[in-house]
Amino acid sequence: MEQKDDIYYIEKVKAGQTNYFSYIVERYQDIVFSIAMKVLKNREDAEEMAQESFIKAYKSLHTFKGTAKFSTWLYRITYNNCISEVRKRKMHFASTDDVQIADEAEEMNLDGIPEENRAQAIKAAMDKLPEDEYTLILLYYFEEQSIEEISKVTKLSESNTKVKLFRARKKLYTILNELMKDELYTIL
Amino acid sequence: MNELEDIKLKAFLQNMELEKPGSGFTVQVMNKIFAEDSALEQIKSEKILGKGFWIISILFVVLLAAIFVVSNTGMQADSQIGQLLPEAGQGLSEGYESFFSKLGTLPLSIAGITIGVSVLIFIDKIISSNSKIFA
Repeated sequence: MEQKDDIYYIEKVKAGQTNYFSYIVERYQDIVFSIAMKVLKNREDAEEMAQESFIKAYKSLHTFKGTAKFSTWLYRITYNNCISEVRKRKMHFASTDDVQIADEAEEMNLDGIPEENRAQAIKAAMDKLPEDEYTLILLYYFEEQSIEEISKVTKLSESNTKVKLFRARKKLYTILNELMKDELYTIL
Repeated sequence: MNELEDIKLKAFLQNMELEKPGSGFTVQVMNKIFAEDSALEQIKSEKILGKGFWIISILFVVLLAAIFVVSNTGMQADSQIGQLLPEAGQGLSEGYESFFSKLGTLPLSIAGITIGVSVLIFIDKIISSNSKIFA
């Protein structure tokens, strides 16, 4: 089936054809669930939170004017929902420097990671990132959102987003470096 | 960090598999949405001012009319009795007045209770309807 853009489905839903919202859910469920999973660290809670985010988005769809990307708007709802839940449960929202950034982190050679291990390595490294940095990396590299869009999602200023993203990237490199070292030791 | 590394990282990250929710995720979301929609429709179709409210309001109006009629009749009767029975004792007149004054407060009390109840029912109805909508 031909992939239509978000606005097409949104207009249909706004016109009363609620069924079309399922296309939106199908399209964004993985990323919404991944953010919720990272923050809540529990599959059931994350699924509930992801569902809640979609329902909230559906209910407020009339307020979506289309000036920003729908995905940005949806991620903002998801991110806010997750943060509120974390605060409600008095859970720890990791945005601290749990990982020391190594100086050589910038010199990471990504080609050194065997192709067959890349998906696993990147997932393992991403899992080690704090929640906020995970979201920044996910939105910037995976979802190809701009700095401006990410700053709308996270409610950080653009300059702060840039700085945090730079740090997150360096941290990811550090983790990947360590993972690759461990892997080499295992092989040797 | 150079631009090439950035592009590589992007390509690298796009290999990453995201976490996936359960298989029935979309169906569950849509079911919840349909359930919310039908609940909202039901609330919209439900009249805030139901039959009960109108019955109480009519009863209240009838009681007000009754108070008005009874109080007027009492005043007329009071003036007429003086003309009709000039020789009647003052005791009878006082008893008559006291009876009507006591009787007069009874519908007023009922009306007060009725209006209080109807206002409370009305407020409760509005609050419960709104809480369903905004929940």
